[in-house]
Amino acid sequence: MMSGILELPEGCIAAAISFTSPRDACRLACVSTTFRSAAESDAVWDHFLPPEYLSAISGSGSGAASSSSSSSTTTSSKKELYLRACHNPILINGGKLSFWLDKPSGKKCYMISARELKIVWSSTPEYWGWISLPEARFPEVAELRSVCWFEIRGEISTSLLSPMTTYVPYLVFKPTEESFGFGNNPVEVTVGLSGSEGQNRTVYLDTREQRDILFYLQLPRRRFKRGQASVPPDDRGFSPEKRGDGWLEIELGEFFYGGEEEGDLSMSILEVKRGNWKQGLVFQGIEIRPKKKE
Amino acid sequence: MSSSIASSSSSSSSSSKKEKKISLKTSDGEVFEVEEPVAMQLEIVRSFFADNEDVTEQTVMPLPNVSTAAMHGILEYCRAHEEFRRRMPEAAPEEEVRAFEAGYVDRKSNEELKEMILAANYLNISKLLDFLTGVAAKRIENKSVEYVRAFFGVENDFTPEEEANLRREYEWAFEGVDED
Repeated sequence: MMSGILELPEGCIAAAISFTSPRDACRLACVSTTFRSAAESDAVWDHFLPPEYLSAISGSGSGAASSSSSSSTTTSSKKELYLRACHNPILINGGKLSFWLDKPSGKKCYMISARELKIVWSSTPEYWGWISLPEARFPEVAELRSVCWFEIRGEISTSLLSPMTTYVPYLVFKPTEESFGFGNNPVEVTVGLSGSEGQNRTVYLDTREQRDILFYLQLPRRRFKRGQASVPPDDRGFSPEKRGDGWLEIELGEFFYGGEEEGDLSMSILEVKRGNWKQGLVFQGIEIRPKKKE
Repeated sequence: MSSSIASSSSSSSSSSKKEKKISLKTSDGEVFEVEEPVAMQLEIVRSFFADNEDVTEQTVMPLPNVSTAAMHGILEYCRAHEEFRRRMPEAAPEEEVRAFEAGYVDRKSNEELKEMILAANYLNISKLLDFLTGVAAKRIENKSVEYVRAFFGVENDFTPEEEANLRREYEWAFEGVDED
């Protein structure tokens, strides 16, 4: 091999790295000192920072929710700026959206605030309330006090998404101490481009553990119901997962954005068939982030 | 298909007068007679001829950093793109360009690819350099550090301690990497 003679210049290495992903760049920094210098260069990380992020943090000033002095933006490297974009979501569009980057891929992620969702009955205080929680990203979250008709819809313009990406929307919520009424009742959720058929699936808003308890508690009574099989609840749909920030999230489906599809990505969450009273959940919003690579 | 591009000097361009050629000499002494619009895609050649008024058609420009093998690859790409450019007004052959590029690069080994990146960098052909570095990126995506060292023939010049620290700092970037 002619290896030693054909050492690539740092500029070419940086060019190649900038066509990979942030995750690749960090790993490639461990190849050699030249690779490290290329992989940590501003030229590479500039490539990973979407212009929308840069304009969001420079544009409004106050929009950059960072509490540290704004001068740090100018002195820090592009890589540091990138990592900040991943770890510290900022509020954009007048506080309606929370915006950050997916660390491994650099793809754009959002959470639509509960105030931006269409929640049926949410202006009637007996049914829904608006409260503040210190652990939320938005000043207000929606508290489900009591409804029979449970319906939440959300939309986000596809133009905000990163192209060639499979996105997964999640409903982000948590139970209060008065949580009751969802149990093993399936909730219908859909994900798709506005006006299209989209994907449907059935999910549960109570966790696996809660539903297991309910299921076994209700077992003797169920036996009396004609035709109702006592199947374990888990094989009919998905359950919420606990997030790192203490909230729960339930996956609503998948949406591949190629880059050409115009319109809104819309999501719906419905439990309107049973007509029983449901209560005691707090909704922060709908999060949209890229599907994790296998 | 590519053979018709290579022999474009024959009858295909009936409208043009005798096509001007530029002579380029590679590191191993071979002289390539290249159609002017193709040669002008090489920024180093374009500026050489722009800056030196006393050069003539007989001038042979030496390119000491480019091997004959790399030159063949470079010219194949530049000729194809000149051909695409000429047809551009009527048909935007984007699919064709992509098909050509895919086929073009499939035939290149890692070593050839590296050699061509060096040549494209030296000759300053930004379009080709972008394309080739993009191809290199595809080939090293999700690969281990060891694989990339072998791929580029790069020595690990970190001390064991430096490397261990870096790997710790970027630990999150090592999950789920492809098998070598």
